Amino acid sequence: MKLIKKQIPLAIVFITGVLTLVSYYVPHKMSVNYIETINKWENIVVAFAFLLGLVSLFFSHYNKISRKVDGWGYSIFVFIGFLAMVVPALVSQGKQMTDTGFTALGWSYKFIYTSLSGTMFAVLAFYIVSTAYRSFRIRSLQAFVLFIAAFILILGKVPLGQIIWDWVLGWTGRGVNDVIEWIMQVPAVAGKRGIMIGISIGAIVTSLKIIFGIEKQYMGKD
Amino acid sequence: MEFFTHSWAMLAGQLAHGWVWFCGLFVVTESWMIAGGWVATGLTIFLFSFLYKDNPFFKVAEHLYLGAGMGWLFQVSVTNVWIPKIWEPVSKGELLVIIPSVLGLSLLTQFVPKISWISRYGFTFMMGYGAGLAIPAGLSTDFISQIGGTIKPFSMLATMSPWAIFNSLVVACGAICVLFYFFFSVEHKGHLKKVSNVGIYFLMIYFGAAFGNTVMARFSLLYGRFDDVYTYSGAKYFYASQIILLGMVVYFLVRWFTGKDKKELDAEETAG
Repeated sequence: MKLIKKQIPLAIVFITGVLTLVSYYVPHKMSVNYIETINKWENIVVAFAFLLGLVSLFFSHYNKISRKVDGWGYSIFVFIGFLAMVVPALVSQGKQMTDTGFTALGWSYKFIYTSLSGTMFAVLAFYIVSTAYRSFRIRSLQAFVLFIAAFILILGKVPLGQIIWDWVLGWTGRGVNDVIEWIMQVPAVAGKRGIMIGISIGAIVTSLKIIFGIEKQYMGKD
Repeated sequence: MEFFTHSWAMLAGQLAHGWVWFCGLFVVTESWMIAGGWVATGLTIFLFSFLYKDNPFFKVAEHLYLGAGMGWLFQVSVTNVWIPKIWEPVSKGELLVIIPSVLGLSLLTQFVPKISWISRYGFTFMMGYGAGLAIPAGLSTDFISQIGGTIKPFSMLATMSPWAIFNSLVVACGAICVLFYFFFSVEHKGHLKKVSNVGIYFLMIYFGAAFGNTVMARFSLLYGRFDDVYTYSGAKYFYASQIILLGMVVYFLVRWFTGKDKKELDAEETAG
């Protein structure tokens, strides 16, 4: 039983990992075909993983409705929202536009999904402003540097900020856009590179640990 | 026998007729577009109402977003994966796709605790693929190209202006200082502490720049939503924005004057 429950899954990780890794560096038709096939397979497995999440979500909200827990009525809207996208998709066969204009799916996407997702992220703008107030209470030189970088970027991207910059610092001969470009291409790049190199080393080490079966927490308990 | 064949044909015909009628309901007309304006502005205002306080309208829109998001991903999954990558190949007799389908189906055993270990087959495939792909991707894009980008300017010093040389030095020194900051194998004291402190300033500039960009991206989304609310406030959409906004204001005022808000607040305080 240990073979089926533990060793074969670990062998799958090892074989899939090593083959995918090696195929990347082997310039042969076989490795190209392997990568193409394995990419398709991955898409298929991920589609089922999505189904796992979807069914889990539905179970959770169905249980809320059937047990009539506090706020169960809102759970009905999860199903309504789902049907509001899936039924039009079925009718429109997955197309958003035709020669005559929007399909039902295009309508749902534009007026329901885009409105909701756009607003949900736009609401964050207000919370970011409140966070900014707290972050920008300058307590140290490091916080001051963060504040200056963010302030210049925000200032430079609004017309009023550009006017103020030209009025106060116009004598320097440098526009705010020049300064933003320099920040983005020099000191910010230095910070970003340090982080990216660190992340890549971490990702490579973790990947190797997964392939060689040192890291296997994702397998869960026995 | 003829009776059954005839009945079956009748039923199939009626079903096809019903389906055509059903699809006809979903033809987007001008009235649908006006209704869309009402839906879009309503949902936008419902979500924005959270800025005042948590309320049932926000919760309805929030749950709709969850459902609509899953619905959208589901249709993308069906249209882009299940039909072209599973159904069509199997219909043509290409049975190799059954292997990943079985691996995928194994994930669903998570719902049955006794056999949930079977889901390991699907998970291990995904982990193996992800790990195998992460190494070359991480090496080429995040590791080698970043080091290359830092070093490369120094091979062209003769053709560079003093300002460009200065910038390249700042990038190289900054990246090294940041790496020292993340280097935990040695205790940060003495010169190492000074170097890692310089690294913190570069990190702060990067975080500040990232923060500024995020703020502006969020605000551009906000302008977009305001623009839509303004569009749907026109006579063409029968003043959807104004009417819904007025409805929300009336709702909050009624709750305020009837004291329901205060009762809720007291209940929350008691529970807290």
